[in-house]
Amino acid sequence: MNRAMPARRMTRFWADRRLALKGLVVIALPLAILLGALVSLYIASNAEVRAENDVRRAFAIQRDTYQVHALLAEAAAGVRGYALTGQERFLAPYRKAEASLPPTMVRLDQAIRDREVRERFNRINELTVRKREGLKSIVDLARQGNRAAIEPALVSNKIVLDAMRQEIELIQRREGVLLDQRRARVDEVRGRFLLLTAISAVIGLLGSLAAVYLFSTGIVRRVQMLEANAELLARGEELAEMPDDADEIGRLAQRMARASALLRGREQALRESEERFRLVIEEVQDYGIFALDPQGVVTSWNLGAQRIKGWEAEEILGHHFSRFYPEETRGHLPAQMLERARRDGTAEDEGWRLRKDGSPFWANVVITALHDDQGALRGFAKVTRDMTERRRSEEALRFAREEAIAANLAKSEFLSRTSHELRTPMSAILGFGQLLELDEDQFEPRHREALSQIMKAGRHLLSLINDLLDISSIEAGGAELNLEAIDLGELLQEVHGLAAPIVATAGLKFVLEHPEEALVAWADRRRVIQVMLNLVSNAAKYNRTGKQVRLACQTRGRDIRVEVEDDGEGVVSTEVSRLFTPFDRLGQQNRAKVDGTGLGLALSKRLVESMGGQIGYEAPEQGARFWFTLPSRPRGSHAKGKAGKQAA
Amino acid sequence: MSGNLIDSAEIRSRRILIVDDEDANVLLLASVLEREGYGDIHTITDPTTALEAYVRLEPDLVLLDLMMPEVDGFQLLEAFKRHDRPDEFRPVLVLTADSTIAARRRALALGAKDFVSKPFDVIEIALRIANLLETRILYQRLRG
Repeated sequence: MNRAMPARRMTRFWADRRLALKGLVVIALPLAILLGALVSLYIASNAEVRAENDVRRAFAIQRDTYQVHALLAEAAAGVRGYALTGQERFLAPYRKAEASLPPTMVRLDQAIRDREVRERFNRINELTVRKREGLKSIVDLARQGNRAAIEPALVSNKIVLDAMRQEIELIQRREGVLLDQRRARVDEVRGRFLLLTAISAVIGLLGSLAAVYLFSTGIVRRVQMLEANAELLARGEELAEMPDDADEIGRLAQRMARASALLRGREQALRESEERFRLVIEEVQDYGIFALDPQGVVTSWNLGAQRIKGWEAEEILGHHFSRFYPEETRGHLPAQMLERARRDGTAEDEGWRLRKDGSPFWANVVITALHDDQGALRGFAKVTRDMTERRRSEEALRFAREEAIAANLAKSEFLSRTSHELRTPMSAILGFGQLLELDEDQFEPRHREALSQIMKAGRHLLSLINDLLDISSIEAGGAELNLEAIDLGELLQEVHGLAAPIVATAGLKFVLEHPEEALVAWADRRRVIQVMLNLVSNAAKYNRTGKQVRLACQTRGRDIRVEVEDDGEGVVSTEVSRLFTPFDRLGQQNRAKVDGTGLGLALSKRLVESMGGQIGYEAPEQGARFWFTLPSRPRGSHAKGKAGKQAA
Repeated sequence: MSGNLIDSAEIRSRRILIVDDEDANVLLLASVLEREGYGDIHTITDPTTALEAYVRLEPDLVLLDLMMPEVDGFQLLEAFKRHDRPDEFRPVLVLTADSTIAARRRALALGAKDFVSKPFDVIEIALRIANLLETRILYQRLRG
């Protein structure tokens, strides 16, 4: 493991390098190895040359030292010959030695590197100088003819030459050792050179192989994988795993993987969306949704269609949709619908269709033409709704409305007739009664009393009839309201003037509380006066113990509130709930002398409500307080001037 | 007020036609008119004969009930209007127990000159009749 780590790290490091660097390495590595091999060859051959030079130099030193010895020995022999003979020709070797020795010594001086050899060379040099001086002195002595001095000189000369021979032999021996060493080194260098050449050849071969391997594994193989992945990407399939190296190929692979993930994600989302959509369509119960091909053959079917029409998908798929149509329309309508959808994009129809069991249902149908990208017709989508229930309820509603209108008309007609039928005889009764009253001074008192009773009862009956007809016509919705903005302050003043005699007759004070600001109500002026007069006359009629009747009005939110209050006995709490009920005159038995039809409050209630207001009673500390409200501005249907259904 | 312009005797000499299917009402109106001193009073209780009487009698004033069987007051109003010359002023006072605004408007639109609902005040109706006749007389005088 631990040993594997660096190797893996190396591989990783190599894989992450840039492609240019890898190319460089692949090409440069064999070149570098080749260069290395050449350098080593050069160095090795240099070393060999140096070693051979050393050997040559050793031979030269040996040769030169022999030559020095030989020259001196020949010169000494020549000098001896001259000394013996005195003949000049014996001096030739001596002269040759005098000419050749200095350059030879210089050559030797330059060639010698070894310390021991140099020491000996120095001694030889010294001996050589002594020898040459010795020889020169012998020659000189011989010229002078001093024979006696020659002999010792010759002997000492011989000693010098012997010493020199000894030194030269030592040098020769030393040089022989050195020569052997250098020869051995030459051999060694040559061997090393051969080895180095062999190693270079092997390394070069291996390096080339390694470079090719690296190239093929690191690049070619991955490019091939990449190509395979590109093919997969084009087919929209999942990509094969690739090493996530950091070089260009690795990055290309990563981008391709990202692109693939993106595409697959989109594809997945699209598929899911389509699936959801398909499920929604399939599960929709209230709408029959299905598809037709361009000829009108059913190609898809949802639950709603199954529920509405009764066919299961497998029963209807592949059949023409005209079988949904009843016989009367089957021949032409299906084709017409498709033609319209083809022409206008969509076609809508409402009419009878057939279920599987042959029963008809009222359908709302929308056919939409479906086109592909090139605009060619691919088929139709058809949405069908079962409207049978709605059609039934619409019919019921229409019938009910017609009934109601007819009933209302009948009611109005009835009211008009009743009004006529009741008033006509009243007209004769009251008319003749009035005629008689005009001549009443001709009657006896008891007849006058009888006439008065007839007229009183007649007028009461007439007001009863009028109130009753009023209530009925409001309830029938036939009361005509003339709604307008009215100044209530002004109206209160008017009512005060109108009702003053009634209040005064009852012996009461009539208090009018003027509103502080201008109060405007949206109401029918005549009807408001009617209600106010009714309330004021009630207050005057039933207030037997108090002293006054009060009339006031004020703003209450968006409404105007009118109050009529007296300080009489008030209304017994148990009877409050019956105040606005027709013909329910409270405590009738005790108040026999009070005039009235018993319809006043009931009528007032209906009038106020028909104008969009409310009416009510509340008990103050003393007496009774009736109030009603009126809207301050038009609201809803009341603005149109017809009594609304609130009256009912 | 009227007395200042026209002699009341001339008003009371004018011909009045009463059209109503109810005997009691016809009698009431006739009584009121007689009591007021009118002398030329004609009554019709069968509305089908009303137009014939109207054409034949050429009354100065018609008291007309609206709600009658077979031929109602509205139809008669139209018929009267068709018969009269456009510049003729022959007042019709409509009397009806149907006091609805609709009936009132319709009658006035068809040419009725006044409208009184039943039951009526006998003094009031006498005054209205006198006023209408006075207007007719003034109109006739103006036209020469």
